[in-house]
Amino acid sequence: MRRRPPSREELDDYIRTRLALIGIDLSVLPEDDPDAPADQLRVLRSARRVLEQTVPALSDYSLDPQEVPPSMYPAHLPAVRQVAMEEGRPAPAAGGSGRPEEDAP
Amino acid sequence: MSDVSAEGPSDLLVDRRDFVARMGALAAVAAAGGCTLPREAGPAPPPPEAVEGARAFFRDAPRPDLSRPGYADPAELTAWQAGTLIRDGELAATEFLEAHLARIRRWDQVYMAFNHLLDEDGLRRAAALDDGEPQGLLHGIPLAIKDNYYTAGVPTTANSHIFRDFVPDFSATAVHRLEQAGGILLGKTQMGPLATTRALTPDGEVTTVNAWAPGEPRISPGGSSSGSATAVAARMAASSIGTQTGGSITVPSLAQGLTGLKPTMGRVSLYGVIPLTYTRDHPGPLARDARDAALLLQAMAGPDPRDPRTQGLPPVGDFLTAATPVEESGGPGLRWPTRIGVLAGWADGDGEEARQRRAFLRTMEEAGADLVEVELPERWSELASGTFNAVRLPERSEPFLEYLKDDVRLFGVSLSSWINGLFISGDEYLKGQRAKLALLRLAVDELLAKCDVVVQTGHVPFDMIGLPLAALPIGMREEDEEHPRPRGILLGAGPFGEERLLSVAAAYQARTDWHTRRPPEPTADDEARLTGPRARSRGRLDVESVARRSQ
Repeated sequence: MRRRPPSREELDDYIRTRLALIGIDLSVLPEDDPDAPADQLRVLRSARRVLEQTVPALSDYSLDPQEVPPSMYPAHLPAVRQVAMEEGRPAPAAGGSGRPEEDAP
Repeated sequence: MSDVSAEGPSDLLVDRRDFVARMGALAAVAAAGGCTLPREAGPAPPPPEAVEGARAFFRDAPRPDLSRPGYADPAELTAWQAGTLIRDGELAATEFLEAHLARIRRWDQVYMAFNHLLDEDGLRRAAALDDGEPQGLLHGIPLAIKDNYYTAGVPTTANSHIFRDFVPDFSATAVHRLEQAGGILLGKTQMGPLATTRALTPDGEVTTVNAWAPGEPRISPGGSSSGSATAVAARMAASSIGTQTGGSITVPSLAQGLTGLKPTMGRVSLYGVIPLTYTRDHPGPLARDARDAALLLQAMAGPDPRDPRTQGLPPVGDFLTAATPVEESGGPGLRWPTRIGVLAGWADGDGEEARQRRAFLRTMEEAGADLVEVELPERWSELASGTFNAVRLPERSEPFLEYLKDDVRLFGVSLSSWINGLFISGDEYLKGQRAKLALLRLAVDELLAKCDVVVQTGHVPFDMIGLPLAALPIGMREEDEEHPRPRGILLGAGPFGEERLLSVAAAYQARTDWHTRRPPEPTADDEARLTGPRARSRGRLDVESVARRSQ
């Protein structure tokens, strides 16, 4: 699926909603005050940067689950990938950096 | 003292695969919620038995040349030099402490290295030590303690509103051990709020300055153990301890000409240290030279029943012997055959820094090292990138969640790092922990397969994977004519390679004198700029810049 980068407003809504869900209130901070220790504008901008840059990069990075197992059982994805390749179906990337195949399931 | 030196340094005795497995387990513990803020509990456990080699170390250490210019002031002595004189009855612990207190009274309003002074307690303890026979490694040595270590009965603030009124009733294991070894707690030092960046007030005002450029607060003292570094560089403490999650021991050491040592994960207990990132926090010394770093580490290191990270590790090494160079016909040499890995291009170029790096390598060859060219393994830069560095953030958010819910203003200028950690999802965090294991495997299986010590271009990779790092000065940054200050290098080693790093640093320092350089006193202009009725602001950092620079 092609990604549509979220708008700034969507990201801010997401940040505020996530914080509200767990009971963290940013509204006690001034809205925009560069002289304050922290203000909403700068805290939101910093969080947006993590969402826009770090999160997609982490999500896109693929580690071979057999080489670096996520837990102590045999990795299943290589087998799925092998079967998919044999049957000519799209499969998840096998490791390394970069975007996943756009048609991956 | 263990007899490890007869067989070789500890890194030769370690099963590196086992260390990889341990780090995997540590990541799993963190994922399972193994990190809690230390609670007030009973007294710290008893220290390990006194190190038997202390007497031999001081007996064999070269006597300081007191005729050298500047040595009239005992505050100029290193800890091991002072320890030698104290044992010989030529210096009293009280006299040594007074020398540092005098400098604090004279200069700390300029440097702002201390949060809290323990002068009266310290003098009482020094007098008591003077009444007894020197026993411990640090008998009569005044120490500066970063303000994130619990100290019994003494405010412990981490420069944060959260801990503003916190007075623990026990000391961190590391602090307790330093005291058991005869060390005198001189004071708690300024730090980045909650150990994030250079020393600031909780609301972001710059406090501590670099001892080499006190009149120019824009020149960083390094973060976040800046107060500890400046206290030692300005001879207001004989030695100090800090913590490193992202360079906070080695960066201030490099910035101020000190020898800093970040030990292997688990070598020193973190019990009683306010956490920043469970899988990356490391306590260690910021010292004047390798011998002093060895003294502190020897006193601090060892298993602690209250910190599972310290359990089941190889025996504590003999750091004192490691930091004592071997006398060879050609001069002081390395204690063990040592291969130093040099990254391709690390010492290339015509600039001053490249020349100083080449001079370092030449000196190490003369001291007996084999230089080996190494390359960073494939995928190293991806796995050590800022993307994976960011997975440390949820580990700081989780233990502080109740404070975030209570009032985000408690976090002052540090808030964003704690908020941002809430936006790394569980699967991303786990992937980050797996990436750390992949990086660790590359380090032990490839990078360190050809060498015992490897030059570093930054602290992040070895901070991520818990391997030891040492920082030491190798020259001066003369290109900044107005503020010449030290230039150093960063060396890394394999699991429990502290002895290896200390032996390299000690051999280098036995052949050079960069570690003996001291910054000049602040000028009258510096003093006027920073203190008194016409003092200018030292500057401030805002919440975004603290998040970007966060350790």
